[in-house]
Amino acid sequence: MSALLDAYGNILGLLLALLCLGLIILFVATGRNKPGRNLREIPAFQRFRREVGLAVESGKRLHISLGHGGINEIPAGSALVGLTMLDRCARAASISDRPPVATSGDPLLAILSQDTLRGTYHDLNAERLYDPSSGRLSGLTPLSFTAGAIPVIHDEQISANILAGHFGGEVALLTEAGERSGSLTVGGSDNITAQAVLYASAQEPLIGEELYAGGAYLGAGSIHAASLRMQDILRWLLIALILIGALFKLFTGGG
Amino acid sequence: MKTIFSLINVVIAIAAGALVFLGYVFPDLLGGMRAILLQWAIILAAFALLVGILNLMQAHWRKVTTKQPKAVYSLVVLASLVATLLVTALSGPAGKWSLWIYNNLQVPIEISLLAVLAIVLAYAAARLMRRRMTWYTGMFLVTVLLVLLSTAPLYLIGEVSLLNSLHSLIVDILAVAGARGLLLGVALGTIAAGLRVLMGADRPYGG
Repeated sequence: MSALLDAYGNILGLLLALLCLGLIILFVATGRNKPGRNLREIPAFQRFRREVGLAVESGKRLHISLGHGGINEIPAGSALVGLTMLDRCARAASISDRPPVATSGDPLLAILSQDTLRGTYHDLNAERLYDPSSGRLSGLTPLSFTAGAIPVIHDEQISANILAGHFGGEVALLTEAGERSGSLTVGGSDNITAQAVLYASAQEPLIGEELYAGGAYLGAGSIHAASLRMQDILRWLLIALILIGALFKLFTGGG
Repeated sequence: MKTIFSLINVVIAIAAGALVFLGYVFPDLLGGMRAILLQWAIILAAFALLVGILNLMQAHWRKVTTKQPKAVYSLVVLASLVATLLVTALSGPAGKWSLWIYNNLQVPIEISLLAVLAIVLAYAAARLMRRRMTWYTGMFLVTVLLVLLSTAPLYLIGEVSLLNSLHSLIVDILAVAGARGLLLGVALGTIAAGLRVLMGADRPYGG
């Protein structure tokens, strides 16, 4: 089996990507993914949506922290989800005088956060809201990034923080800052250590793949709901394959 | 005009993404193209670093000039940044004075932040019991305590074989199984996020 995977691993990867692509297109086309339909409740997103409304009413800001993972590395997936959430927050808060602020620990990510905000305000014909300093590089190492993001939480009248991206254990310092400033903290990461820390310290943690459902839950469009459905199907497929593999190993005596 | 630029952005992003992906699948055919595109990406990332540092300086400079609360910290950041730039430019990245700054300023400050982190985590665990006392929370905290107790010999008691066995069970089997499950979900989410960019549905690049 391992020899087969070594020989055809690349082709299998391509087939998996094509399968994912096919499923997303199928679910978008068949319209089985009406926004909000068939989505289980995730308390973190419910509370965050409520907090966005309250932030607009009370004239406070939202803070989206995108982590310190590079966009050209494996953690890019979680950072892309963070950018989608930034877009949704900017749209929701566009009637407010205080646009959301994004912090990141990677220069490319900081530029992308500025581009995301600029694109969103352009779509809404609200270019006056765009401020380049709303997408900030707060530091270049994990701890300097955290140290740079903490003052944003304390000093900029933040009502809710969403931590969506690649973090390490130091994310606890951000959640603690949120706790002390009395703002809500919703947090998810691709890193297992950060997930454990967020479970203990964030008011609303996002565990495992819940972070990647952010776009679908915040109404980012049918393609997000379709890709979430694709993830659900593939997860069951993988579970079935793992069980079959375990049973096969059990009955054939390993190897 | 803006629409045309947006369209060009999308076409470039999708074409570059697809070529890099296919370069991994067909290394003999498209491996060279993938390597060239990745080299360009590295050059762009280096340039982005300069832009990012300017952005950082701009944000702190604005804080200082508009006399916002705690602007003195921004002044410290700016002064440190300029001083480090000058020292590194004069003595080189691996020069004596650059390393002095790294070893005597950055490392101790980051280590002290890590020390604060240990306290913050202990406090967060205690607060978790008050905030969200469910079965899962109880299991989480009991597991943390068991792993902490079994990581090193206990004071005056030494090693406890039951704790060692529990440690192996938790760390080598249960934690690994759980982490793999979470990582599978993360991997599927990453594939979905990547495909949305490749399809042009998510355009974080100003499309």
